Amino acid sequence: MKSTSYSEKTLDHFRNPRNVGTLEGPDVAVGKVGNPICGDLMYIYIRVSDDRIVDIKFQTFGCGSAVATSSMTTELVKGRTLDEAMKVTRNDVADALEGLPPIKMHCSNLAADALHDAIKSWREGRRGETPEPPKVGEVRSSSCGLPVTKPPAIEGAEVLLGKGVYRKVEDPKAFVDKRVLIVDRGKPSVDVALDLTKHTGRVIFMSSTKEPSSKDDPRALLKRSDVKVIYEAEPIAVLGEGEVEKVRVHDLNENEDYELFIDAVVILE
Amino acid sequence: MPAEVYLDYQSSKPVDPRVVDAMRPWFTERFGNPSSLHLDGDEATDALERSRERVAQFIGANKDELIFTSGATESNNLAIIGYVIRNRRRGDHIVIAESEHISIHNIAKAIEKQGFKVSKVGVDQYGRVSVEKLRKKIIDTTILVSIGWASSEIGTIQPMQEIADVLHGRGIALHSDAVAAEGLVPIDVRKVPIDLLTLSANDIYGPKGLGALYIRRNVNIAPVMPGGGQERGLRSGTEDMPGIVGMAAAADIMASEMPAEVLRLAHYRDRLIEGVLGRIPKSYLNGHPRERLPNNAHFRFEAIEGESLLLSLKDKDIAVSTGSACSSKTLEPSHTLISCGLLHEEAHGSLEFTFGRWNRPGDVDRVLEVLPGIVERLRSLSPLYEKEAKA
Repeated sequence: MKSTSYSEKTLDHFRNPRNVGTLEGPDVAVGKVGNPICGDLMYIYIRVSDDRIVDIKFQTFGCGSAVATSSMTTELVKGRTLDEAMKVTRNDVADALEGLPPIKMHCSNLAADALHDAIKSWREGRRGETPEPPKVGEVRSSSCGLPVTKPPAIEGAEVLLGKGVYRKVEDPKAFVDKRVLIVDRGKPSVDVALDLTKHTGRVIFMSSTKEPSSKDDPRALLKRSDVKVIYEAEPIAVLGEGEVEKVRVHDLNENEDYELFIDAVVILE
Repeated sequence: MPAEVYLDYQSSKPVDPRVVDAMRPWFTERFGNPSSLHLDGDEATDALERSRERVAQFIGANKDELIFTSGATESNNLAIIGYVIRNRRRGDHIVIAESEHISIHNIAKAIEKQGFKVSKVGVDQYGRVSVEKLRKKIIDTTILVSIGWASSEIGTIQPMQEIADVLHGRGIALHSDAVAAEGLVPIDVRKVPIDLLTLSANDIYGPKGLGALYIRRNVNIAPVMPGGGQERGLRSGTEDMPGIVGMAAAADIMASEMPAEVLRLAHYRDRLIEGVLGRIPKSYLNGHPRERLPNNAHFRFEAIEGESLLLSLKDKDIAVSTGSACSSKTLEPSHTLISCGLLHEEAHGSLEFTFGRWNRPGDVDRVLEVLPGIVERLRSLSPLYEKEAKA
């Protein structure tokens, strides 16, 4: 079966998704699941009254089945009690959609998990919160793993020093038309990133922390710039034969590694 | 029925009806085997050799430098595996580009298991091989470099002449998979000293299941499929005469129509690129801005996923491709996009349009009419775009 062989019901929910949007207020809790790197990210918002879901909304970035399962999940539990909603499984959602292609059962049928996360938030008293990440330096929320620690040494960075790895930026012209990765070492790194966008079209800023919520954080400036920013990830190795070719990146959120092709890495001292 | 607006010519092309006409007698009336010694066999031999000459001419080759195969995958396997096996005593190292289609990476993986060593030369953000970087990858034991003439996905054309210059006089063979480029950019092996070149019939509106491999004189390869000794012993098996005659007819038509066709397709491409980038915020062109195939427009759209775009266009009866992992067999994003330095989340939002012989100017208008609304709708669902908008 092709990965896009969707049932009519699934296509209907993709084309006309129900309950799209967000909710706010002291009687609202939010659940989140997924990661844009994997191609899926879902938020589910529930408004609760007398232990019952009186309103529900979702936002989803993802493929056809990611959108359809989000939509169907909201329909299945609207008006239900929290206990009833906790019992809704991924399989229930897939069944209600008259089946999903097998390959999509795990990767994008995540909406039930987002719903359960929202109910958990509610029961743990995390109510009326918008899904903004905590401030920089704060410990990660329990759902996202370990506290932030000082980044370890990056394998291969010493060997390739001067061959694409930079400890300081003296001549920005050396970066013209290069794909540059800047590892977050505080405000000086932000300044370097912003400056280099004048010399090359591809500047990537990588930080192991969560996205800052405060406007006073120096990294907030990056949002309106041409810098591509990746939070909750850290380079663990610089790879290349005689010169930098790529970095291996550890995604802290997913606890997975991936490779990123670049021409230069700036790790300020 | 094909889609009302078919913009996925790199995935599959219809066979030109003129090619079908040329092929038809070879199914029923002229069914001789070129190996037979009677008159029917002679007739087939004549047609086989005339077809060989016409396809060879299409790339400026001599007829004794070209053999027919079952398609590009077989030609690539024969070129790379056949060459390294035959030339093993001279060295055990080959170089391919990081941006190559996954099929070349998998052939490289297969020969690595046989004890050969493979280096991969990186590409820039537009998918072009740097000649400087290639030079650094070449070592004493390098015997073969394989670099596709152009990317079927992002449309970037490689600097084949410069690549050939780097290898010149060093006893290193150059193979190129030219399926994405054939019929869209001029290929002349007299001008660019390629040693092994892969062609496919369908990519010039011929039948599927038929391809060819150009092998320069004095370049030696070993067969990977031994048998009855057809095609100079390099590719055994009774010749597919309808397919071979069809490929020759397709090459003839392409040779005469290519100059006008390329201009027409490039015009569609440029209108689409200008229209999309101009009308859709946070949309980007993948691949090279100038050195790109005349029929290829490849975009990425921030905060949305390619399969959702593809499905929405499918609803409007528009057929396209995506490099998103969510639509692939392996759930891995496109290797070519990743090699350009894109993040997975960026590769997920990619969409590819490829024009071909039967597109009309109205096809571009139709895409530009519906695509901005589709992108807007999907972004309205996406939690990623809301954050962008707030910023």
